[in-house]
Amino acid sequence: MNRKRPYNPQREPRPFTSCRLLLPVFIATSLSAFAAPPPGQLLAAQCAQCHGTNGVAVSGFESIAGKKADDLYKGLLEMSQRRPENIMDLQARAFTPAQLRLIANYLATLPVAAGETLDN
Amino acid sequence: MNSDRRNFLKLAGLAAAGWAFPRPVSAATTAPHVLVIGGGFGGATVAKYLKLWGGNIDVTLIDRSSSHYACILSNLVITGAIPMDRIKLGYANLQSKRGVNFVQGEALAVDPVAREVTVNVGGTHYAYSYDKLVLSPGVEFTPPAGNYNADLTPHAWKAGPQTLLLKQQLSAMTKSQTFVLTIPKSPYRCPPGPYERACSVADYLTRKKRGARIIVLDANASIQAEPVNFGSAFRGIYKNVLSYIPNATILGVDSQAKSVTTSQGVFTGAVVNIIPTHRAGQIVTDAGLANDPTGRWALVDPLSYASKVSPDIHILGDSQGTGQPKSGHMANSQAKVCADAIIRAFNGEAPDPAPVTSSACFSPITSSKAAWLTASFQYDPVTKAMKRVEASFAEAAQPTSDGMQQMYQWADNIFADSFS
Repeated sequence: MNRKRPYNPQREPRPFTSCRLLLPVFIATSLSAFAAPPPGQLLAAQCAQCHGTNGVAVSGFESIAGKKADDLYKGLLEMSQRRPENIMDLQARAFTPAQLRLIANYLATLPVAAGETLDN
Repeated sequence: MNSDRRNFLKLAGLAAAGWAFPRPVSAATTAPHVLVIGGGFGGATVAKYLKLWGGNIDVTLIDRSSSHYACILSNLVITGAIPMDRIKLGYANLQSKRGVNFVQGEALAVDPVAREVTVNVGGTHYAYSYDKLVLSPGVEFTPPAGNYNADLTPHAWKAGPQTLLLKQQLSAMTKSQTFVLTIPKSPYRCPPGPYERACSVADYLTRKKRGARIIVLDANASIQAEPVNFGSAFRGIYKNVLSYIPNATILGVDSQAKSVTTSQGVFTGAVVNIIPTHRAGQIVTDAGLANDPTGRWALVDPLSYASKVSPDIHILGDSQGTGQPKSGHMANSQAKVCADAIIRAFNGEAPDPAPVTSSACFSPITSSKAAWLTASFQYDPVTKAMKRVEASFAEAAQPTSDGMQQMYQWADNIFADSFS
């Protein structure tokens, strides 16, 4: 199947039911195409609403992609433990320390935002 | 569906009908198809992240409009602080950058047995098949009793033409007139939203229509979100322009007369902004998936957002009934959990057993200062439900100009994270 072709819905006759009976086979045979998601990917995606997809912000908030894992973890842990003053101190409290570690490790693997250099 | 898939399914159909037919080897490289209905924050985000994380998955996103108007920031369009284009979000980036197929059409019905959705595309009905279906249709309103007509007494609770209608009505008010706002019983979309609207309108009236007033009729017993910030504003800076009346259940609306009858009395205004009671999107209800005890929301497994009725159908955002707040930020958050779970399912794996979701928002209290609210949720394996992390739940101590700046930065980033 050529996935790059523009999607062109065809009118199809209904009912269509008989064609569905082999769908389990269809799904089962496509399994090998996927890799397991990296640890921390899903948790770290909850940072993206403010810090941008893959940790690269489009405006305002700091980009967090590609920073050192230990620095990220230390910062997040501190935010989750200090007296809450800003919204990030509350966001950091959403996660357990183990989850913060997974997030930090994952973000560290992402490419740094274009035009940015690491300050750590 | 493209011709390869159709041919395969045709072959599969023949095989199912009893033909001696070897399993086609080409199936091993055929991508599964996820169909997403509804291109708001939930639908756009799940489509994007399925492509971003999933690789070999065909994703088709269907919405009745060619672009989405965000409810986020829409109160600022109503007061004229920002233009309508600021909240207009198209699907071009999802198509060109992510490879999502976008189809403008109205999804009419789901057939979970045949695994297909009937969609009206430009007046013709098509059957779209799916391996996994995601429904993210937002909310439907239950009209109040009486001759309720949203063209006369707008809700402006789905951004778009309704936003502009309310803006126009507000702008046409004179300095001796009244704006009446009704707030529905919880749960409804965006818990702080109606109180934010009350503040935005009160601020506008103070600046542009001195002498005009706003009456806020709340069906709830108290302010449902950010009670400190909204309560202080109602009792403080807006005390001469705003009246807040709790426990005001709507008994009937006369849209012609611009009058609303409530359990707290009858109120009439030059502008009557009725936000009706909410329920799940129509397609969710019609498919028999709105199965919570109230019959208004869809029960789902919060590890995957799979319906408890039909596990290959996932329901996200405002229509789901997990008890998490209904908001664009939350829909984006849930969409990522759903996308991850669908990819794992195609891989033969169970969903992530410990997802975290989060809701955050910034609410303008005046034209220059905003407050914020945030709450996050962890999966509780005992109750199998999302449980609010109490330590993560708070509102800002007071509105600030920094908050206003952060509000626009948050909007920029969540718009991009969902739609590009």
